[in-house]
This record gives sequence, structure tokens and C-alpha cells, in this order.
Amino acid sequence: MLMFTLRRLSLFFFTMVLLSMLTFSLRYFFPGDMLINLSGQINANTAELKQLAIDYKIHESIFSQYWQYLTNIFHGNLGLSMASQLPISTEISTLLPATIELSIIALTIAMVMGIPLGFIAAIYHRKKIDNIILTFAIVGHSFPVFWLGLLVILIFSIQLAWFPSAGDISLLFEIPQQTGFLFIDILLSNSPYKWQAFNSALAHIFLPASVVALAPATVFIRLARTSMMEVLETSYIQAAKTKGLSFIQIIYHHAIRNALIKMIRHIGLQFANLITFVMITEVIFSWPGIGRWLIVSIGQRDYTAIQNGLLVLSIFIFVVHIFTDFIYAALNPLAREHNHGS
Amino acid sequence: MARDKIYNEEKFPSPLQQLWFNFKQTNVAMVGFYGYMFLLILAIFSPMVMPHNAMESNLDVLLLPPAWDKQGNVSYLLGTDSLGRDMLSRLIHGTTLTFGLSFIVVIISLVIGVVLGSLSALTKGIKSSIYNHFLDVILSIPTLLLAIIIVAILGPGLGNTLWAIVISLIPQFIHITHNAVKEEFNKDYVLASRLDGASSLRILQYSVFPNIIEKIVNQATLAQSAAILDIASLGFLGFGAQSPLPEWGTMLFSDLDLFYIAPWTVYLPGLAILFAVLTTNLVGEGLRHAVKMRKEN
Repeated sequence: MLMFTLRRLSLFFFTMVLLSMLTFSLRYFFPGDMLINLSGQINANTAELKQLAIDYKIHESIFSQYWQYLTNIFHGNLGLSMASQLPISTEISTLLPATIELSIIALTIAMVMGIPLGFIAAIYHRKKIDNIILTFAIVGHSFPVFWLGLLVILIFSIQLAWFPSAGDISLLFEIPQQTGFLFIDILLSNSPYKWQAFNSALAHIFLPASVVALAPATVFIRLARTSMMEVLETSYIQAAKTKGLSFIQIIYHHAIRNALIKMIRHIGLQFANLITFVMITEVIFSWPGIGRWLIVSIGQRDYTAIQNGLLVLSIFIFVVHIFTDFIYAALNPLAREHNHGS
Repeated sequence: MARDKIYNEEKFPSPLQQLWFNFKQTNVAMVGFYGYMFLLILAIFSPMVMPHNAMESNLDVLLLPPAWDKQGNVSYLLGTDSLGRDMLSRLIHGTTLTFGLSFIVVIISLVIGVVLGSLSALTKGIKSSIYNHFLDVILSIPTLLLAIIIVAILGPGLGNTLWAIVISLIPQFIHITHNAVKEEFNKDYVLASRLDGASSLRILQYSVFPNIIEKIVNQATLAQSAAILDIASLGFLGFGAQSPLPEWGTMLFSDLDLFYIAPWTVYLPGLAILFAVLTTNLVGEGLRHAVKMRKEN
């Protein structure tokens, strides 16, 4: 496990260096003045610009510029947003938690829906249920997420009026921000209307999370189905059968666990896709997250926001990748060490 | 008497022919295939099939509902939008933009990806390791994010977003080709041609490619369904095709505020996207099934 950890950490370090180089190089491509794009100070006068040039080491070699860039990131000094003139770090610290909340709840819905359906399809392989689930998976996978969002708003928010269509909580509730994660903040607050606020937040997150979850859920159905079918053909399942275990016992005690382990790896790989859906869904549901902020930033030509938003979102995706890799290795001894005798 | 066959020759179908033979046997896959072909032909011949001009507004027929409605007009079969443009013609023209361009995007990234992937499979050691890590970095950046950056640099427009999609699809092709070529190179038949004195490039061309083409085609269908969705989503967000162009995502966005008055202007482009992605997925599913059937036999 130690070797595995070290290898993963070095990989993580290496990818972070590459990623920072990528975001660093963006400064040479964005149109407009580089210093203003970096600092976000659109109204700086000549003296201030001179000071900024010294701060960002613009006139020194590319290596010291890069080093300065890294130092700034570690000090949380990401410049000002060109649109709102607020520090990027404060903006991100309020927006990123909302995105994390939405993506984690969507991922949970996708797993809770997708994996059991996939297992059922594998158990009833080539029967009617299997066909129905597979059809659902293919059709669900083909739905454009923005269209689905619009239809869902039309049906559930406007015609049936079951769920609200925009924002993350009703404006009536005033929740002081502590962690940035709305649900945690609500529980921490000592407002007398805590539970009403919690219900409101739940109602607000339900539609966007379900919309985001549909496509990943269909992918999980397919993956769960394949991995369950693979497990059911292995020799230890055959052995369990010959020992006389009932079908349900085999599925519960042997098949599901082994099939689940195989799934964990794919969850990390699906995450980049999920973030794309989250970004589009945030726009449709006016979710106060980082994806919507980024998309709006394009219209406002807010290059400081774009550069840092890319960095933060990619780091988030990488961390989830590494995290799922670790869970996979912790649960599955075959993944961390080489097979003996092979 | 003349003999047609001098030798008792047995003819083996090539891997691609076998694939097609297995593919034909699944009905659902064939339905998907016909749908796919229909869209492809429509995309090529769209200027000839359009009943009206897709971009010309006609103020006499604003927001006409589809023909089956009481207020509909048969000469505007699927109704008109807020500027009186014929929906059917716009959808047909959109086939070229959304579906046709996604096809071209996939071909371009396939060619680049396969070339780079086979080259990378031939390199070894630290070079290949760095290369793989670099790919991992690009692979984990979502398409939309990449597109946002390219749009920020070059400005919005259909062409710019197409490049973004090409760039984001290439790593997957490199990955698939890299692994497949590596796998094939360890097999005995490659060793046999190597002992015959064939160079690596020749082995690639004559021995390896015919055997991995099904994996690449399979990846291409996955990539195309992603490309259609990407083109449409970028159009919807206002980064891709700009307003008069009837790209399906852009159409959906431009009539969004009329959703309740004229729902067909939003339903129809969405359905078109759904249909295009669905047929592509069905073809892909059929291919995977055919490959599996062949391996089982």
C-alpha cells in the first residue's frame, strides 16, 4: 500500500505541475493586456501597473514568472474578478462548494439508481427486464442535458409546481455562510426555521441533481451490468453454486461485493463528464456554482475568472480521480500489488 | 473443361467484413444504422431537400404551428419560428451543421489520434510515460471547459468550438490506438512478420491496423455521440454557431423565451438532437455486440 500511495502521489504531483504549466501558458494567449488579465485590475493607473509588473515579475525570465505564479496560487492570491472586482479566491470559496454539493448529490443519485438496475439487468441477462433496462440506458444516454433540464422545468416546476426551478434555496431564508456548503451551513445555523430551510434546499437541489444524474446513471447501468456478468461467470461463483448456496445467497454474499469493486474505478473516470453536465445544468437552473460563473465570465470577457476557474475545476476533478483510485486500492488488494506468479 | 478455381482456395472474410456480417443480424442495430444513413444523406444533400430557405424570415407566417394543428399550414409542415422561418427547412439545414460537422470532427480527430497513438505505441520508456501522463491531464479536462478556454482565446463561433471538440476527442483515440497497438505487437503473428524482415511501419499497416480497426470504429461512434451533444450544448450556451445559423442547439436557445407560446420551436430541435444521438448510439451498441458475438464464436 505504501508503494501504491507513493506512486499515486508522484503521479498527482506530476499532473498538477503539468496542469499549472497549462494554465500558466494561457496568459500568453488571452487577448488584451497580460497584466490586467492576470490581476483583474481594469482601472489601474500607470504607477499601479508598474507595481503589478514587479509583483508578477513580468520582465524577468519565464521561469521566475512561473515560480511567481505558483507562489501566488499557494498564497491564495488569484487576482480580482474583472467583472465584479472582488477577489477571485472569495468568489471561488463561495461558488465551489455549491458545485461540489450538486455534483456529489448527482453522483449519489446516479449510483443509487444505476448500479442496482445494472445488477438486475445482469442477473436477468437476455430476459425482458434486461431489455427494458438496456433500452432505458441507451435512450437516457442520448438525452441532451440542456433539453432535459428545460423539459423538467416545464413539467415539474411550471405545470405541476412541485419543485422550484431556480437557485439553491428560497430567498426567505437567511443562512449565515460558514463552510460554504449550504446543507452544512443550515444545520450549523441556529435559525428557528432550520428545518424549513433544509426542506427548501432539498426541494431546490432535487431537479438539477436528477437532471445531471440521468446520463451518468445510464453509464453506471451499463458498467454494472458488464461487471456483474463477468463476476457471475467466474469460477468462485461456480464453486459457490456447487456448494449448494441458493441464488440469493450467491448474489448477496459473493457477486455484489466483487462487482461493486470493479465499479469504483469507473466512477472516477465518469467524473469529468459529470462536471460538464453540472456546468450546463447550473446555467439552466441558475445554480450559484462555479460552472455557471465560468460560462457567464466568457460573455463578460473576465479572463482572470476563466484562468482560475479552469485551474480550480480541474484540480477538483483530479482530486476525485485520485480519491477513487485510493478507495479502489484499499478495497481491492489485487490493484495495489503485482499478482504473485504472474 | 476450364476450371474456375485452380487451387482449393478458402476465402476468409476480413475482420471488417466479419463485423458487418455479425452486425446485420441484430435488428435494432440495423434500425439505428438506417437512421444513421438517413441523417448522413440528409446532411450531404440538405440544400436540395429544403422546402424553404432556412435563414430567410417571412413576416406573414410568424409562429405558425405544425401542420397537424388547426391553425397550421401544410406548406410549413413543422410550423415556423418567431421570424417566420420554416422549422422543417431549419432542421434539415441543422442536420448538416450538427450531425454532418460532428461526423467531420470525428474523422479529423480519428486520423490525428490514430497516427499519434500508433507512434506513441512504438516509443518506450520515459518518453512514453511522460506522453501518457500528458494525455491523462488533457483527458480529465472536460470538453466544455476546454471549449470555454478556446472560445475565450479565439472568440465564439462554430469553427472555433469545432476545434475545441477535435482537441478534446483526440486523446481518447490516442489512448485506444496506443493500447490496441501495444497489445497486437505482443502477438505471435506480428513476430512472424518481423522475422520476415518487415519494418515496424509495414507491420502497422498490413498486420496490425486491419485487426484493430473495429476498436477504432467503436470508439468513433462513442466520440460522435459525444461530439453531437457537445456541438449542440455549445450552441445552446451561445459559444458555438451564432444565431441565424440553424444549428440545433442554437435554434433551441434562440427560441427559448417562446417556450410557452410556441413549444414546437423547442421540442423539435431537442427531438432532432435526441434522434441523432440515439441512432449513433444504436450503431455503436450494435458494433460492440457484433464484436462480442465474433469473439464468442
